[in-house]
Amino acid sequence: MTFFLHIVAMICILLFPVLGYNLVFGKGKIMHFGQEAQSIVAVYTLLVLTTQMHLSYGFSFFCALLAVSCVSLALAWLSLRLTPDGFGVLSIALQLMFLAVVLNWQSVTRGALGISGIPRAPWPEAQGLFVMIMVSSAVLWIACMWVIDTSIIGRQLAALSEHPWYGEAQGISRRRLHIIVFLLSGVGSLLSGAFYSSYIAFLSPSDYDFPAMIFFVMCVVAGRPGSVRGVTIATILLVVLREGIRFIGLPIHLIGPVRLILFGLILFVAVWIRRDSLFPRQRTV
Amino acid sequence: MLQLLINGLIAGSLAALIAGGLALVYGILGVFNLALGQMVLIGGYTTWWLHQVMGVSLFLSILGGMGTGALLSWGVFAVFIVPFYKRHRFLPLVTTIALGMILDGLILLAFQESPRSIITEGKMPIRFMGTYLNLPQMIMIMLTVLLLCLFAWVMHGTAFGRRLRAVVQHDYAAMSLGIRAPVLHRLIFIASGVLAACGGIFIGVDMNLSPTLAFPLTIKAYAAVIAGGKGNVWGAIFCAYAISLLEQLVVGVHWFGTLYIPAGFQSTVALLVIILFLLLRPQGLFSSTTRAA
Repeated sequence: MTFFLHIVAMICILLFPVLGYNLVFGKGKIMHFGQEAQSIVAVYTLLVLTTQMHLSYGFSFFCALLAVSCVSLALAWLSLRLTPDGFGVLSIALQLMFLAVVLNWQSVTRGALGISGIPRAPWPEAQGLFVMIMVSSAVLWIACMWVIDTSIIGRQLAALSEHPWYGEAQGISRRRLHIIVFLLSGVGSLLSGAFYSSYIAFLSPSDYDFPAMIFFVMCVVAGRPGSVRGVTIATILLVVLREGIRFIGLPIHLIGPVRLILFGLILFVAVWIRRDSLFPRQRTV
Repeated sequence: MLQLLINGLIAGSLAALIAGGLALVYGILGVFNLALGQMVLIGGYTTWWLHQVMGVSLFLSILGGMGTGALLSWGVFAVFIVPFYKRHRFLPLVTTIALGMILDGLILLAFQESPRSIITEGKMPIRFMGTYLNLPQMIMIMLTVLLLCLFAWVMHGTAFGRRLRAVVQHDYAAMSLGIRAPVLHRLIFIASGVLAACGGIFIGVDMNLSPTLAFPLTIKAYAAVIAGGKGNVWGAIFCAYAISLLEQLVVGVHWFGTLYIPAGFQSTVALLVIILFLLLRPQGLFSSTTRAA
């Protein structure tokens, strides 16, 4: 039962950033590979303020929201300014840059040791109740994403991803949409980080390295880019696979490599299946 | 200071090998290969396995490593690049991420996480003009220069090189003149794989091979390609040396006599180069112009 609750908690925690990322990369086709840059800024601001400076959780959460909004706005601006592949590489570089700062600014972030002893408060101590709160929040988040996906924002995003010039000629503001989707993905990162750190009671910088980002890409590509339902199902299945692989009887030192190979193959097969729709060709007359 | 320059030259030789091949591939195909670091390591690990485990002579082991690099890049091009890049040039970015994961897993399965060194003896440092470097490092620097000279001769002094440069400038125009561009695409990708394998052998001889090196190697090579001007081979090679030197200077110098930058920030130099160039000069230092009608 405890393990089942753990799986449910991990699914809920991952759904926040994955669905936010789906809006950016899946629906908007914006070549963004720096979602974890937003997560690093959000979660470290929150935890440094609460655990090191002993500020109240509410105020720290507000500061983290401000910090992640600034990073999201910067990313939105960069996505408008750069070529798609240039932005893709820059977003990876930004994420690694933030990670390097976190790893080396030991007096504040405690470097590779991470931040330990994170209190569960203000969330309930009982695991069952905490997981229930996470499930409710995740359901609410899925509903929000579904509403956005089917609203005028979703349609405009889809039109813009297919052909930016034609979309803008129809009066769609590219700048407005990029700001909205990056802010939403930033909020997803913050919520995920807030739940995850309180759930595990520990923050490790290794949870925010590039392989973590690849997991988001995999969930979006496998689930059908832009589809809230598909990405939700893919996230559930991939988390179950990731956590469940340790029960197939492999020696402990083989689990990591086998997981890498398996997930690499899944990503490749997903791209192969979706090679015509992942980055759609522009329609011409 | 001279020691820092020598260190920069050693690290730059390694980066130049990898970035040179990458720049050529990017110039022609316009695709990013995010599994490049893993391809570098496979070349190095194969050489280590042949020499240290199978007892094959060093020369044959190096040839084996380069051959594996060629075979691997041929397979990668056929499976992970060709079926995708004609549909959309961003697709290989995602397929090579998948390839990187697969190769990471295979490297961990086959060679574990322990550091592996191709040469374990004969690394006694030699004093040279007040600096220290060992014999394998001297040989590697000279071999890199030789390899780059050979590369320059092929590119600029042979008919094959002229065809290559024609394909770099304009794919379809070259094909209309009877140049078999798809064959050259494959050959260039294989050449880039061989250069990457040489980089891996360089690491294995000079230092230790470790699975964690893969991604930083890829990032450094891309920093050189972006700073040098996308597709400009010589620009990328020059910038690979410049970035390596900058990395040494950033952590090796006490700035203004007091400021000391921790060694952990060394890897951020390449990241900063990527960010600054993409923001301020996205065409790179030596941008090459495409001829148009």
